[in-house]
Amino acid sequence: MEYFIAQIVNGLAQGSIYALMAIGYSVVVGVVGLVTFTHGEVIMLGAYASYYAFTFVGENIFLGIIAAFFASWFIGIFVYKICYERFFDSPRHISLICTIGMSMLLKNLAQIVFGPNMKAMPQPIALNFVNVLGVRINTIQILIIFVVLSLSLGLYIVNNKTQWGIRLRAVSQDKQASALMGINVRRTAMIGNSIGCSLGGVAGMLIAIYYQSILPTMGGSLGLKAFSSAVLGGLTEASASALGGLLIGLIENLGTSVLSNSYRDVFAFIFLVLVLIIKPEGFSKKVGG
Amino acid sequence: MLEVHDLSVKYGYINALNGIDLNVQEGEIITLIGGNGAGKTTTLMAISNLVAKDGGHVFFKGMDITELPAHKIVQMGISHVPEGRKIFPLLTVKENLIAGTFGSKKKSAADLENKIAEVCTLFPRLKERIRQAGGTLSGGEQQMLAIARGLMMEPDIIMLDEPSLGLAPIIIEEIFRLILRIKDSGKTVLLIEQNAAMALQVADRGYVLERGNITIEGTGKELLTDERVRKAYLGI
Ligand SMILES: Nc1ncnc2c1ncn2[C@@H]1O[C@H](COP(=O)(O)OP(=O)(O)OP(=O)(O)O)[C@@H](O)[C@H]1O
Ligand SMILES: [Mg+2]
Repeated sequence: MEYFIAQIVNGLAQGSIYALMAIGYSVVVGVVGLVTFTHGEVIMLGAYASYYAFTFVGENIFLGIIAAFFASWFIGIFVYKICYERFFDSPRHISLICTIGMSMLLKNLAQIVFGPNMKAMPQPIALNFVNVLGVRINTIQILIIFVVLSLSLGLYIVNNKTQWGIRLRAVSQDKQASALMGINVRRTAMIGNSIGCSLGGVAGMLIAIYYQSILPTMGGSLGLKAFSSAVLGGLTEASASALGGLLIGLIENLGTSVLSNSYRDVFAFIFLVLVLIIKPEGFSKKVGG
Repeated sequence: MLEVHDLSVKYGYINALNGIDLNVQEGEIITLIGGNGAGKTTTLMAISNLVAKDGGHVFFKGMDITELPAHKIVQMGISHVPEGRKIFPLLTVKENLIAGTFGSKKKSAADLENKIAEVCTLFPRLKERIRQAGGTLSGGEQQMLAIARGLMMEPDIIMLDEPSLGLAPIIIEEIFRLILRIKDSGKTVLLIEQNAAMALQVADRGYVLERGNITIEGTGKELLTDERVRKAYLGI
């Protein structure tokens, strides 16, 4: 029983990282109106940004968050300029294919620049165990949950309580109508894309801290998990995507406690296939176009 | 105030507009009437630069706005209420109205509330539904919201693309009364309508568009009594 509860705690902690990736993914898909295949690499690069900040500046968690956030913000701008902005008036699949190419490019560049091997991720906070209501939970897990909740809350406030949020949501819903409101659609989509990428980048840092390691090819399965989680939210609904991430985290950890750890990624993708079979439009409350 | 010179638009090989000229003076209601596929919507889209022009120029307040990006054109004071309303379905009525102000200088919170209250006096129904999602409004309510949203930026000219489409006769009358009130408040209106009889009654001048060409133009009264217009568009 204790083992079971521990796996649930692990699942929730890991799931909240996936949730953050998925929220970022849904923001990106919302504003650019297309699925992206670069999200995993953005996550990876965010993780590396914090790795280098920890290594060369100091092992401070806030520093890591800032490094990951802004590095992915600028990578978001780069991806946007290359894969989206130039192809606004072209058929949509061109941008899509461009994100696939971009993903390969970034992954391989990362192997050249950062080295192809796994590195140990510095740990900005000490690992301790605490008892919360009789459940054993460690400080890293608390950190993860705290960071994810803060960023999600931040996004919620921007989205729902500010005029910027109205701009972002308007552009997600109807680009032409947004232009007719006087909104600079390209600039707004670029910033929205960067917000989504930044959330992914910070999630990348968290997963590297969680696994205590970092690898240039880590983005592949993470990007797919972000995608799988977001599918639950009909790809663009942040809250349902977050739920998808949590579920995948839970399923993975409960699944590995029954079967072998090497099946970890299998569960996420079984989940994706099941969602697509049972409810292909996702569980978002979105109505109309 | 708004001048269109020799405007042409092609969709692939189809000529949607073949060099049309029209002008709108300050304080006028101008109507553009014509059958399905005549090119009315295309004219407004070309003015707003949402479709590429094949030729011609658009001037607003003496400035050439032909190549300006769409959002800049809106920011100059041209509000375009598009065909099919284009309400943001997941934004509330209030958020839709706030979105309508993005084309003008940023308002203080108090000014924003005042402006919302002001357009709500024109459309009391919207006030009752201020927290409802735009996508859940009825068709008529969405049309009212679209017009209200178009007024939020306090435009110099408002271009309405078939505001009466799909509405009950009573609501249509309401909308036309409102168009007169918009004019009385000092704004200029460019109105596209299939409902030629009503449009010509409220309009100062009108243009008839047929297959991408302006074939007849004149004052509202002249067009109402024009034999060709009566036959083709008024069914008399
Ligand atoms: N995106 C497009 N691609 C190809 N052809 C188009 C496109 N939009 C419009 N057309 C064509 O251009 C012509 C003019 O269309 P437009 O929408 O301007 O007509 P309209 O006068 O607004 O008609 P309605 O009263 O039915 O709205 C039509 O023949 C239409 O089929
Ligand atoms: Mg039309």
